Amino acid sequence: MFIELLLNGLTIGGIYALIAVGYTMVYGVIQLINFAHGEIYMLGAFFALTFLTALHLPFYAAFGLAMLLGALCGVLLDIIAYRPLRNSPRLAALITAIGMSIFLQNLAMIIWGSRPLPFPQNDLPAYFKQPALTVGGAPVSWLQLFIFIITILLMIGLYLIIHKTNTGKAMRAVAQNKTMAALVGVNVNRIITVTFALAGSLGAAAGILVGAYYNSVYPTMGYVAGVKAFAAAVLGGIGSVPGAMLGGVILGVAEAFGAGYISSLYRDGISYAVLIAVIVLIPAGLFGKLSRETKKSL
Amino acid sequence: MTGKRILAVFCVVLLSLFSLCGPAWSADEATIKIGVAAPFTGDAAAYGDNVKAGASLKVEEINNAGGINGRKVELVYGDDLCAPKEAGAVGSKFANDKEVMAVIGHICSSATLAALPIYIRKGLPTISATSTNATIGKVGKGWFFRNCYTDDFQSEFLATYAQKVLGLKKIGVFYEQNDYAIGLKDAFIKAAEKLGLEIVGTEAYTRTTTDFGPQLTKLKAGGPDGIFIAGYYQQGALIARQARQAGIDATLFGGDGLDNADYINLAGDAANGTYLSVPFIAEASGPEGKNFADRFKQMTQRDPDWMSANAYDCMGILAEVIAKVGPDRKKIREGLAAYNSPEKAFNGITGPTYFDKYGDCQKPAFVKVVENGKFVPAKQLR
Repeated sequence: MFIELLLNGLTIGGIYALIAVGYTMVYGVIQLINFAHGEIYMLGAFFALTFLTALHLPFYAAFGLAMLLGALCGVLLDIIAYRPLRNSPRLAALITAIGMSIFLQNLAMIIWGSRPLPFPQNDLPAYFKQPALTVGGAPVSWLQLFIFIITILLMIGLYLIIHKTNTGKAMRAVAQNKTMAALVGVNVNRIITVTFALAGSLGAAAGILVGAYYNSVYPTMGYVAGVKAFAAAVLGGIGSVPGAMLGGVILGVAEAFGAGYISSLYRDGISYAVLIAVIVLIPAGLFGKLSRETKKSL
Repeated sequence: MTGKRILAVFCVVLLSLFSLCGPAWSADEATIKIGVAAPFTGDAAAYGDNVKAGASLKVEEINNAGGINGRKVELVYGDDLCAPKEAGAVGSKFANDKEVMAVIGHICSSATLAALPIYIRKGLPTISATSTNATIGKVGKGWFFRNCYTDDFQSEFLATYAQKVLGLKKIGVFYEQNDYAIGLKDAFIKAAEKLGLEIVGTEAYTRTTTDFGPQLTKLKAGGPDGIFIAGYYQQGALIARQARQAGIDATLFGGDGLDNADYINLAGDAANGTYLSVPFIAEASGPEGKNFADRFKQMTQRDPDWMSANAYDCMGILAEVIAKVGPDRKKIREGLAAYNSPEKAFNGITGPTYFDKYGDCQKPAFVKVVENGKFVPAKQLR
């Protein structure tokens, strides 16, 4: 039972990590919690669903295209909703984020209806359902393996982009200090757009994986996942990408073990209790850095 | 400038006053309004769609025959999202609308329980096609009726069926945290233990749970040969899929909440072999029932479920009562209460309906099973 719970926790945790990374990257560059990020996750799932059912594209093509559309949605979100408020008080952007979240949920309801839609099982690669291997007595299907591998690959890809490319260096510069970055010649607006694009594509990827795994896609699915992923990002230290990855995995595993060993009734409560415990002990989160204002108030 | 401003504001105010009066002018004074409270959006929306279709079919029949004493019937819809908070809002809306004579609703037991105090306070009779929680009748104070059976009865039936027909011995139970599921689960466990069935575990979940992995792992350790799902179709489908993915071969079975085409759509192949108890199956309902099933299929391109059949009969009962006593809330309540014995029962497609002093009624239970992606009648309990 331990291994099965662990595998389950790692699967959920990987998904939370993918979404959390999106929250954390956007916060890092513009200090805004993008509450509409959960909706990009949801839209990614719906886009993939539409590509598979209406356009009959093969699964991997649908996956890639939906990720691209997710990136586009992220960029549009920035250009339409957040860029005009770049120099306004933070509260305005926050409220706009919540507003965009509500707007996108209802837009999805209008376009796709409010009923949960199933992922077309016949369009997924046939071997997905077969068990790939058995770890400690627990069966792992190809689909689960696919989720693990994609999650790890995307994380590695993100890490490489952030640390090994010039764009990544520019992103880190903007996250550190926007004004100085502009002074040394970084096109801050362009970097922010790139960040949104990356965050959006990862969020969309998470949505597609969840849609395929649970076979249920509905317009309000972004809300719960978004809240948990946000908690994971805070757990790992908001603004820190490795923190978000670790936070996601910790939260997923805590949830699985909490539900399995303690009580399935309180599984959500247990994950949030873990979050609260960590924040109380380490206020900035696991890898976060307290800003000077926060340090003063503490 | 100021003069023009004042004129503009005055015009706007006048226009808005007109728009408030509009509905009263354009309302066809002759229609009888019946409220229908159900989830029409959200993850239980499929129930609302079926109830809407069932009630609309009856209204179509009535209006085509000239209406009730010459007045046409109009359905007014309230979306309660299968949640207590929205149910209260819908209840207030209906209760405060003087033209609404009665309510068919609500669907989910939690929603009915939330709206009921409002209906009692304002004196609006409500007849539920689908709320099966056993406690509702006790708090109805005479304003609540239902033409479905209660969960005490359903759970006992299911436990007996599981043992006698399915031959199960060890059951794992899933239940949602709402009135319907908790009532169903408690009654089932009581009945199962009396029959000597072993309950290997009870796992709770909420409306927003999508991942049942940890719970299934826990239940799997107990080696059940049957899994009882006390809940609605959306989560039931997720449980079914994930149970099969986790390598659990146990027979899945559940109550009336699973009876919806979306259960099969969302669960895919995992739905095959699921047994469920329902108050109505078209195949056993006689010529009127088959006629209803055909018309339903024509209207919605899917087979009717028990909720649509019950909603159809609810509208039928209300029409019969209103034809006798006229459109008056108190008289309608008394008219409904008058169906209090088998001789005075209303005969609809779901069998004879009559109410006891709590508004509860006795209905037989049938069993369906999912075979090759469709609901078919299963071996019935004799």
